[in-house]
Amino acid sequence: MTARGRELFGLVVASVIAGLALASVTMARSAEISADALTYAVLFLALYVAAHIVVRRTAPYADGALLPVTAALTGIGLAVNYRLDADDARRQALWVLIGVVVLAATLILLRHDYRVLESYRYLFGIAAVLLLFLPAVPGLGERVNGVRLWVHVGPLQFQPGELAKIFLILFLAGYLREKREVLAQGRLKEFGPLLAIWGAAMLVIVQTADLGSALLNFGIFLAMLYVATGRGLFVAAGLGLFVGGATLLYQALDRVQERVTIWLHPWTDERVYCALNGKLELRQDCASYQLVKSLYSIANGGYAGTGLGEGTFTTTDGTELIPHLRTDFIYSAIAQEIGLVGSAALILLYMLFIVRGMRVALRADDGFSKLLAAGLTFGFALQTFIIVGGVLRIVPLTGITLPFVSYGGSSIVANFLLLAGLLLVSHRANVPRSP
Amino acid sequence: MTVVALASDETLLVLKLAFLVLLYAFIILIVRTATKDIGGAPQESIVLGAADAAALRARYGLQPARFVVVSAPGLRPGSKIEVSASMIVGRDAGSGISLDGDEFASTRHARIDPRPDGVWVEDLGSTNGTFVNGEQIGSRRLLQTGDVLRVGGTELKLES
Repeated sequence: MTARGRELFGLVVASVIAGLALASVTMARSAEISADALTYAVLFLALYVAAHIVVRRTAPYADGALLPVTAALTGIGLAVNYRLDADDARRQALWVLIGVVVLAATLILLRHDYRVLESYRYLFGIAAVLLLFLPAVPGLGERVNGVRLWVHVGPLQFQPGELAKIFLILFLAGYLREKREVLAQGRLKEFGPLLAIWGAAMLVIVQTADLGSALLNFGIFLAMLYVATGRGLFVAAGLGLFVGGATLLYQALDRVQERVTIWLHPWTDERVYCALNGKLELRQDCASYQLVKSLYSIANGGYAGTGLGEGTFTTTDGTELIPHLRTDFIYSAIAQEIGLVGSAALILLYMLFIVRGMRVALRADDGFSKLLAAGLTFGFALQTFIIVGGVLRIVPLTGITLPFVSYGGSSIVANFLLLAGLLLVSHRANVPRSP
Repeated sequence: MTVVALASDETLLVLKLAFLVLLYAFIILIVRTATKDIGGAPQESIVLGAADAAALRARYGLQPARFVVVSAPGLRPGSKIEVSASMIVGRDAGSGISLDGDEFASTRHARIDPRPDGVWVEDLGSTNGTFVNGEQIGSRRLLQTGDVLRVGGTELKLES
């Protein structure tokens, strides 16, 4: 079977999975078996078959596993979102549709040679910094939970950070490809433009207090620098800088101290000062309320889970137990409903995507393509690790989205762009050459 | 909405099981197809693609590796062999260095690869092994000038 044949077969299986997930949710809710889930699965498959046809026309030699894995992830994401809030899930479905359109448009626009992007590298670098800066502009940005992430333009609102991440990777791929050899020799002055753009991005992120993005972009920067130069010393130096910077931030920002405290000591036996209401409270009732309730949610799932649609997310009077469940904490909702067995499968899906992405980077024929594929894949991997690790209390929690699953349009669209990039690179790498 | 039947706990359990089983079946499907097409052109590093590497070699005028035949059933002793690009040594007539007549050599025995950092030799899973100066090599080995490479019954010496 060709890559496209495997892709189509995988999409059919992924659509059945999506349909089953939705059927469980609707059935647990209304105690009726309806044909709606079947209609949904057919529409879901139709959407991805449309994407498949575009890939077939524009990038016929592209990797055949990436699109089915994406379909399975969005399928699970939509079902869980539907279970948590039906209205939001319809909006999310619209975003997946827009994401597929963006994927198709990107593939069609760049079908001849995506490497033209390399000549716009500085434009991408500056655009990334501008995008990151947008939420801090008075009148445009909005502060949610003490973090400036959102931009409002009329009725539209979006998180520019998601798009900025991809622009930053494009910039780094173009720039590092050009300067790879001189950077590997360690001439400090060659690092100038690199540090300027990167430093500007970091300043903006610290100013908007978006620590998750800071960690993500810094990780991408280090990984791509290592891929380009092959020098572990740079990574060590970068990690040293990171530890230094993190210590400084810890001293300077109460927000960072609180995150670390919540991470290390979510439970207290005695009442401590609660900044939310100014009284003395147990920490699990105040600062770490969200994380602790999320841990209980995961524990409630056990091995096999409560079943989709049967988990407990509200109190008996209908109040939500975990704030931001559909965005930052969707992993703990999934872990409760499909259990350890199911959430391990979810992590495996992410790992498959990452393995395929790294393989695309290995097979690519030129430095720009390699760096682009490696950067996109590493960004995807690190983002998944930061949020899943945060929810599971492996690392301090910083709110970013779980790719393809969390509720949120910007994240969905940005990740479909990322997928388009990997498909284009893998197509170019796999085209049979005449000997 | 068309109501087909009333759902019970059993149907929910069946759905849950079907979902989990299918999810793992999907993963196995992807993994199986994914492991089939691993391979392709061996590459020197994650950044340097095969095309880039060839261009760099041409630019820096990489010296071809020169071997002298010490003893061989199929080759004339004293004759010289030049290896300018990665090449397979073996009994196969299509090999870069064909050891036709050497009964101890495998069809695809070893690969000789001249790189900017020197000449590398790699055993390709041969039956009788690849030896450098009488010592069997595990996987890959960088050759020094004067090293004697033994492939089956054939001995080649690397000249500078």
